[in-house]
Amino acid sequence: MPERTQAGLVHISSAVVSAFPERCAEVVARIEAMPDTEVHRVEGGKIVIVMEGASTGEIGGRLTEIALLDGVLSANMVFEQIEELDDIGVNS
Amino acid sequence: MTLSRREMLKAQAAGVAALAANMSVPAEAQPVTGGVDSLQIKWSKAPCRFCGTGCGVMVGVKEGKVIATHGDMKADVNRGLNCIKGYFLSKIMYGSDRLTQPLLRKKNGVYAKDGEFTPVSWQEAFDTMATKAKETLKAKGPTALGMFGSGQWTIFEGYAATKLMRAGFRSNNLDPNARHCMASAAYAFMRTFGMDEPMGCYDDFEHADAFVLWGSNMAEMHPILWTRVTDRRLGQPHVKVAVLSTFTHRSSDLADIPIVFKPGTDLAILNYIANHIISTGRVNKEFVEKHTTFVKGATEIGYGLRPDDPREVKARKAADPGATTPSDFQAYADFVKDYTLEKVSALTGVEPGFLQQLAELYADPKRKVVSFWTMGFNQHVRGVWANQLVYNLHLLTGKISEPGNSPFSLTGQPSACGTAREVGTFAHRLPADMTVTNPEHRKHTEEIWRVPPGIIPDKPGYHAVEQDRMLKDGKLNFYWIQVNNNLQAAPNSSGETYPGYRNPENFIVVSDAYPTVTAMAADLILPAAMWVEKEGAYGNAERRTHVWHQLVNAPGQARSDLWQLMEFSKRFTTDEVWPPEILDANPNYRGKTLFDVLFRNGNVDKFPLSETSPEYENQESKDFGFYVHKGLFEEYATFGRGHGHDLGPYELYHEVRGLRWPVVDGKETLWRYREGLDPYVKPGKGVEFYGNKDGKARIIAVPYEPPAESPDGEYDLWLVTGRVLEHWHSGSMTMRVPELYKAFPGARCFMHPEDARKRGLNQGAEIRLISRRGEMRTRVETRGRNRMPPGVVFVPWFDASQLINKTTLDATDPISKQTDFKKCAVKIVPVTA
Repeated sequence: MPERTQAGLVHISSAVVSAFPERCAEVVARIEAMPDTEVHRVEGGKIVIVMEGASTGEIGGRLTEIALLDGVLSANMVFEQIEELDDIGVNS
Repeated sequence: MTLSRREMLKAQAAGVAALAANMSVPAEAQPVTGGVDSLQIKWSKAPCRFCGTGCGVMVGVKEGKVIATHGDMKADVNRGLNCIKGYFLSKIMYGSDRLTQPLLRKKNGVYAKDGEFTPVSWQEAFDTMATKAKETLKAKGPTALGMFGSGQWTIFEGYAATKLMRAGFRSNNLDPNARHCMASAAYAFMRTFGMDEPMGCYDDFEHADAFVLWGSNMAEMHPILWTRVTDRRLGQPHVKVAVLSTFTHRSSDLADIPIVFKPGTDLAILNYIANHIISTGRVNKEFVEKHTTFVKGATEIGYGLRPDDPREVKARKAADPGATTPSDFQAYADFVKDYTLEKVSALTGVEPGFLQQLAELYADPKRKVVSFWTMGFNQHVRGVWANQLVYNLHLLTGKISEPGNSPFSLTGQPSACGTAREVGTFAHRLPADMTVTNPEHRKHTEEIWRVPPGIIPDKPGYHAVEQDRMLKDGKLNFYWIQVNNNLQAAPNSSGETYPGYRNPENFIVVSDAYPTVTAMAADLILPAAMWVEKEGAYGNAERRTHVWHQLVNAPGQARSDLWQLMEFSKRFTTDEVWPPEILDANPNYRGKTLFDVLFRNGNVDKFPLSETSPEYENQESKDFGFYVHKGLFEEYATFGRGHGHDLGPYELYHEVRGLRWPVVDGKETLWRYREGLDPYVKPGKGVEFYGNKDGKARIIAVPYEPPAESPDGEYDLWLVTGRVLEHWHSGSMTMRVPELYKAFPGARCFMHPEDARKRGLNQGAEIRLISRRGEMRTRVETRGRNRMPPGVVFVPWFDASQLINKTTLDATDPISKQTDFKKCAVKIVPVTA
C-alpha cells in the first residue's frame, strides 16, 4: 500500500518523551543522534523533541523507534505543522 | 535575534509540547496562533478511532480530505498528547484498497456461493440480502438470523442494530465483538454492583499511591494512560507500581514489584491477598459491615466448550455456572485461609517476597490503590471470577469510589462501553443494563420503542463463539457482520469459524472499509464509511460519551453502517416478519415497513433536518430527511435518564470533549456510589451501591481452578496471544499505514532463548507452531520488547498472513462466554526444507 507523498512539504512535529530520570541523559544522547530530530527541553524525565520529515510516516516511524528505546517509558506526539518548503526557504 | 520561519515553527512546536508536558514555558517559546491557519485547514474535534482510552483529537480537513490530526489540548483524557497509532489517524481512511462499492459473489450473472466477487449496485445488494433473509425467516424463523456487531460501532449504529434485530426481526442473535474483549468485565460489574462500568475515572491516577497492573501491558496498549501513570510514579517517589503478567514486557520496566506468574494462577494470588488482609487485621470492618454482603459461587463450572467435550461432561456445574448462595464474613475468611503464602508461591512460581509486597499495597490503610486490567483478566476461563476477586480486595479495605482508590477495568475498543454495554448489543441485553429475560425490562423497552407488547423475544440469543458453532452446524443461516474482523479474531478459526462462513446453507454479509480476511470469506461485501466520514458517538472506559460531526465524505459508494441498517429495514413489512396474532391485536402496525415502525416512529424522526449543523455534512440525515443522530440519541437517552445512566442533551455533546455519565443537571459524575460525589447516593448513606436493591456490593468466595488446556508431554508450551504498540487489533487499519507496517511488518513468536536452543532454533528461524486445532508458520524472536519465561510463548494476532487463531482454543468463561486467548497448549518445531 504505497503512500502518496506530497513533494515539497515539510512536517515539523513535536513530541514529549518520558524517560527514567536517571537514564534521561543517555536517552537524550540517543535521540540527538537521530537525523532531523532536536531536543528542545529536558526537565526531570521529560524530553521535548522536535522532528522534521517529508511525511507523517517518516516522523511516526521515528517516534515508534524512540518509544521502544531502552530507558524510555512513553513517547507521544503533540503538535504538527505542515509547510511548503518554498515558504521557509529551505535549500536542501 | 531574528529567528527564521523554520526556527520559529520549531520553537512553536516545542512550546506546545512543553505545555502539554506541564513544563514552564519561556516567553519566546509561547505558542503563536495563526500558523496552521495559513494552510486553510479546518480543525474540528473528534475522539480517536482506536482504543478504549478515548483521547480527544483535533482533525484537520483540507479540500475534503483529512490531512492532519493532533492531540486535543482541551481534552481531559490526553491533554494534547497523541500516541503513535493516534498520530496516524489521518491515514487510516486512505488505504489504496479501500472498498467503494458493494461486491456480490456471482456466477453467470447471478448470486452463487462459489461465485466470484462482482461489483453490484446497492439496489442489487439489498435485494439479494432481503431475499436471503426472507427465505431464512420463512424456513426456520428468527433464530436462524443473526448479526455480529462491534465495540467500534457508534452509539447510533449499535442502537439501530439492536432495534432492527430484536424488535424488527425478533431475533436476539445479536452480539458484539466486545464479547471477545470485555464480557467478563461487564458480567462481574453486574454480579458485584448490579450496575455496569467503573465507579471511578482517569482522575484517579493523579490521586493514587499505588498502581497494580493485573495482566495489562499499558505501555503498549494504552500509551496515553500509561504516560499519566508514569508521570504520577516519577513525580511522587512514594508511589509504587506492581506489574503482574505471564511474561516480562514494556510496562514491567516501571515496576517496583515485578511479578511473572504461571498462566491462570492469578486467581490464587487474588485470594492470597484477601487472606493477607484478613489475617493481618486490616479489614475495613465498618465499610464491610455497612456496604457489602457475602456470597459463595458455584465451582467446577466447565470451560464453555461444545457440550459434548469431555471437559464439559465432567464439569459438575456447567449447566448453571453463575449460581451463587448467600454466605458471611466468617465463611469467606475460612475459605481464603487456604491460600497461604507458601502454597500460592509454589503454585504461581512467584517469590514470596514479591507476593507479600503486593498484598501490603492493598492491606496498608494509608495507601490509595488503583488496580488496572484488560484482556489478561477478561480473556480468561475464569475471567468473571478474576474481576470479582479484585473487587473483593477493594471492598474488604473500603478502597473504592473515592479519588485514588479505584478498581479500574480498562477497555480495548473505542465504544465497547458506549455501544456494546450501554446500548446493550449483547445477546442478552437491552439498553441501560436491562436484559431480555426480564419481562418488566422488555415491556419498558417496547414502550420506549413504540412497538407492540410481546415483540421482543425473551430468550437470549447466540453469543459470539456460539454463533460460529451454529453457523457451522447450519442452525444460523443469515449472518451480517459489521465493523469487525471475526475470522481473524475468533478462536479455533479453522475448526469453528471458517466452516460456518462457507457452509452452503448460509448467506454471509460483511460491512467493512477494507477487504479483511472476514470480508473475503463473505458472500456479499458492503463498503462502509468510517470514523469522521459520518457523525458519531463513542463511550470510553471512564463513562465518557464523546460526539463528533461528519467531517469528510466517504469514498465512492461507501455508506455508514447506520445508513445500511436503516436502509435495509425499508425492505421488510411488519406482515412479513411479525406474528399474525401480534398484528391482529395491534392492527395499526399492519402494512408498515420496519423503517416506519422503528425509525419513523414519532421519536427518532422528531428532529428536522434544519437542526443539523450548517457547517458540516450529514449524509444519513439528508438521505432520510430528518436529524437521524439526534433522534436516535434522544430516544436512547430516555432509557437512562432518572435511572443513574443519565446522558445530557444531545447538542451539549457537540460542544464539549465528552461528559462522564450520569450527567445530572448538565453536570458529569466523576466518582459513583459516594455521597457528595454522586447525586444518586441518598443523603446520610456515605456510600451506596445503588445498582443492587440493598445498596450493597457482593464479596464472592471462589477458588483457583485450572485452565481448560495446559501443556503436556507433546504440546509442551503455553501460548499467549495479544497486541503490540504499532498495531491495533486485527491490523485492518494500522497495517494500511505504511510506516506502522514497516515498524512491525509480520507477527513473530516471542520465546525464551533456552526454549529456542532446546529445539535447535536460532533467532529469526522459521518455525511451525502447532496446537491440537491447527498450525501457523512464523519466525522465532528471542530478543525484542517481550521477554518470555521458559515454557511460555507470545504471538500477536494483527497479521492477516499469519493467523494465530487457527491454533487457539474456543474455550470461554462459562459465565461471560468470553474466549480465553491467553492459555492453550502448543508445540513448536523447525520448518525443514
